Amino acid sequence: MDVAEIISHHILDHDWGVTLSGFRIPVTTHTVTLLAVSLVLLLGLHWISLGRQSRAGRLLTTLMEEYVLFIRDGIVLPNMGKEGKTFLPYFCTLFLFVLCSALAGLIPNMKTATANISVTAALALCSGGLILYCGLKFHGIIGFLKGFIPSGTPGWLVPLIFPLEVVSMIIKVCVLAIRLFANMLSGHMVLICLLLIIFVVGQMHIAAGAGALLPAMGLELFMTCLELLVAFLQAYVFTLLTSIFAGSVIHTH
Amino acid sequence: MEDLLKPDYGVLVLTVCNFLLLVYLLKKFAWNRIIGGLEKREQQIADDKKQAQDARSAAETIKRELDEKLSQISDEAARRMAEAVKIGETQKEQIISAAREQSERLLEQAKAQIEAEKNKALCEVRDEIARTAVLAASKVVQQQMNETSAKSVVDRVLEEIKAK
Repeated sequence: MDVAEIISHHILDHDWGVTLSGFRIPVTTHTVTLLAVSLVLLLGLHWISLGRQSRAGRLLTTLMEEYVLFIRDGIVLPNMGKEGKTFLPYFCTLFLFVLCSALAGLIPNMKTATANISVTAALALCSGGLILYCGLKFHGIIGFLKGFIPSGTPGWLVPLIFPLEVVSMIIKVCVLAIRLFANMLSGHMVLICLLLIIFVVGQMHIAAGAGALLPAMGLELFMTCLELLVAFLQAYVFTLLTSIFAGSVIHTH
Repeated sequence: MEDLLKPDYGVLVLTVCNFLLLVYLLKKFAWNRIIGGLEKREQQIADDKKQAQDARSAAETIKRELDEKLSQISDEAARRMAEAVKIGETQKEQIISAAREQSERLLEQAKAQIEAEKNKALCEVRDEIARTAVLAASKVVQQQMNETSAKSVVDRVLEEIKAK
């Protein structure tokens, strides 16, 4: 097994091969991780929302209220205005879902689901759907389409600008998916590569492998901490950009 | 490695369904309660703040009114004090003037009385002298003098008395 195969094996999604009447059910490592994350989030947040009187319950309730305030006052309201309050549950869920999916990869035997282009594309698709919904809800179909034409554009430029703006919006949504995927993937690739240093050097000489152990582990630890930071950062960026794009559709030129 | 960029549409659809279902369930079972509780508390804080502000403005109004009243009372007290002082001064002047007038009157009365007493005493003395003189004259007359010589003697004696 060469290095590329090892890296692919650790990063690529693995299909569990579940079929129902010949129809493939997409039960893969990443989808199972996502389902586990969803279940934990659902049960955990439901428990917190019940407002337990225990010390841990109160602490977690306060923590979640602070989190909601952060999403509402830091992301949704500044970018979408008061119209965005309706979508607060969506953004609260989005941030936690992206964050927990990324953090799940740091748990042994679990994978970072957001290092899968299909998963990030699905999330971007949901964000795209939200943007579309916002545009149609607040401006109607004509108003939404008009929003793609900047005010003051000469009539003869409209046929050129309109498709450009539409493509620009589609690209923005696609970039959401690619950014998250690339960041998560690259972090995990680096982590695996650092671990592989030990084995690659060890194949040359066992003593060299042992010598590379400590530096490689130190770097691994550093990169893991960095991955933690990146997980929070990417969850924030994904949520923030979604709200900005949705806000730009609600409050057109 | 090219599999990394190959989308798995099954995973994509499942993720979309998973995520949207999670949004719905979390909204129903968690976010509504958490956000509702948060908004309720924010509303309560806003109400408390408003109540506190109202109470503060009411207290400020009362303080302003009290200050105004206090200022009015101070002015009134100062005015009354000045008035009292003025009345006191007037009364003092009146009393002093009355006392002075009375003392002058008494002095005048005393003087008049003394003058009257003096005159009375003089008259009495004069009468006494005259009587004594008459008595003496009568005695002289009785002895050897006539009425004319007696009168001249009496007049001379009276002149001497007046000269004294």
